[in-house]
Amino acid sequence: MEPTPKRRPGELVFNIAIMLASFGLLYSAYGISGFEALSAPGAVPMATTAIMVVCAVVILRQTLRKGADTSQTMAADILPLIVIVTIAMIAAYAVLLRPLGFLPTSVLFLLVMVRFLSRRGWGFCLAVSVGTVFVIWIIFRLIFAVLMPQGIIPEGRIVSAITSLF
Amino acid sequence: MDILSNLLIPIVNLDLLMLIAVGTFAGIYVGAIPGLSVTMAVSILISFTFSWEVYPALALMIGIYMGGVYGGSRTAILLNIPGAPSAIATALDGFPMAQHGRAGEAIGIVTVVSFIGGFIGIFALGAFAPLLSDFAIGFQPRDFMLLAIMGILLVGSLSGDSLVKGIFAGALGIGVGAVGMDPLTIQDRFVFGISELRGGISFVAVMIGLFGVSEALIQLHSIHTPAVRQKITGIIPSWSKVRKHLPLGLQTSTIGTIVGALPGTGGDIAALMAYDHAKRVTRNPETPFGKGAIEGLVAPETANNAAVGGAFIPMLTLGIPGDAVTAIMIGALFIHGLNPGPMLMIEQPDMFWFIVSSLALANVFMLIFGLTGIRLFVRIVELPRTVLLPVIMVLSIVGAYAVNNSLTDVYWMLGFGVLGYFMRLYGYPLAPIILGVILSRLLDDNWRRAIISEREDFGAMMMGIFTSRCRCACSWRW
Repeated sequence: MEPTPKRRPGELVFNIAIMLASFGLLYSAYGISGFEALSAPGAVPMATTAIMVVCAVVILRQTLRKGADTSQTMAADILPLIVIVTIAMIAAYAVLLRPLGFLPTSVLFLLVMVRFLSRRGWGFCLAVSVGTVFVIWIIFRLIFAVLMPQGIIPEGRIVSAITSLF
Repeated sequence: MDILSNLLIPIVNLDLLMLIAVGTFAGIYVGAIPGLSVTMAVSILISFTFSWEVYPALALMIGIYMGGVYGGSRTAILLNIPGAPSAIATALDGFPMAQHGRAGEAIGIVTVVSFIGGFIGIFALGAFAPLLSDFAIGFQPRDFMLLAIMGILLVGSLSGDSLVKGIFAGALGIGVGAVGMDPLTIQDRFVFGISELRGGISFVAVMIGLFGVSEALIQLHSIHTPAVRQKITGIIPSWSKVRKHLPLGLQTSTIGTIVGALPGTGGDIAALMAYDHAKRVTRNPETPFGKGAIEGLVAPETANNAAVGGAFIPMLTLGIPGDAVTAIMIGALFIHGLNPGPMLMIEQPDMFWFIVSSLALANVFMLIFGLTGIRLFVRIVELPRTVLLPVIMVLSIVGAYAVNNSLTDVYWMLGFGVLGYFMRLYGYPLAPIILGVILSRLLDDNWRRAIISEREDFGAMMMGIFTSRCRCACSWRW
């Protein structure tokens, strides 16, 4: 017989949040066109959000039936500091991307992240981040022609100077 | 004659040939490096190739897909860490072989049988997809609606331990796909007064968030796991050894093709079923299963590579993805203005035969790259994840931004990344969300067309379903 699965830390809160969000979406879907017609624009959204509500209730019921897993903790197994810092860093990257531009933001992000994750010296981290961003820039900006925010570095002029060489 | 000329497109065009080779090479490494998945790579790639012509974009993606499925076996053998879910069964006998100093032998036989399995899957795609497409050409809107529901539900039931969580994820995906202005009535849906939502949520941002960012966040939990080094010798297998295992390989390739062709299944299920089959039909293996049996490598590796060709069958003929990667490829085809489904074979048969031919070429490149460059491979696999994961995050952000030059998409990517992270931790499958997003429009449009054609009579529409072609297709599937 298989052992009963245990409830992980935070699972109950997550499933309650999922259920409340599903109810909110169902209410919003009802607001699109109510029960006007089966072909109304709100028909499929209402049906899908109703399914979400039913499933969320069943999932919550199943979660409540599970015993708590005391061998795991929120801080160690679900949301450790390393994950929180990384999410915050990605958000910071997104915020700084437009004002600073792709090149400085990416170097800064990689520098801090590689240092934080690897605990290696600043020289190593700087070399890795500058080298990686340079390779990414060459591949995606010059070869794939993907436009990224220019920010404080006159990237457009650099690209036109490089392309004028060929 | 037309078929032949279409098949020759990637062969005579050197750029395309090169892209398939580069894609396959990169795919082997993507598949092999734990923490990088083919799904993740293809989803990020879409954002960089959306401005390309469709042929080069597909050539690169197909190469990565083919190489990635094979590449997963490498780390399964060397480190006991399957690089991809489809290589889980490979680790069962591959790693014990490596522990006994037979890593080179294991890699060699896996490469050759993967090539054989891959070709059988591609042959099935070329032979059976046109027949299925001819059948599906008479589908009515209600049939397409049923197909969309079937695709979402099947993945929901097969990609996780919990059916109810799979259904929830599929419904969530349909909801995400419905965000924005309704194309038929221009009425706002799930917009909440936010003008940026009127254009909908970028499919690419959702995809990169769910498969790129959330995977990277999960990998952070085990970031300091040290790499294990292996010595590799004697890679190319003898013909007698290949011939000895060929009958089993043909059986498991057939299993792989059929399982791969079922919507919602993929190489992982195919490999596990094939492994189980090998255990049942192999009477006296030289080494017991689980301790280094070659049959335990032949079966899953032929099956998961055959499943690649199989997965394209429902994708190209019915517009339903065979697995998560083909789901993303459907998105890529949509971005390039193509509509996968029965009409694709009629309107653009060149595209179908181009895909068949590209898969075959990727399979050949897989054999070449698989039997060479092992030393380079070992070095790259040992690349520390403390460097790799931040780079993946930068690529994810750049990818999400690049499609619409929009920071809003980056925030969506992060939001779905965090949501996907928690969903993974609490046992929710993510593939149904992406399928829901992709199939949302198909479901919504065809539901409304079908119900309008029956003058809003739900009973009449249900009666029509019982006499429809799709019902026959569903019966075929079961």
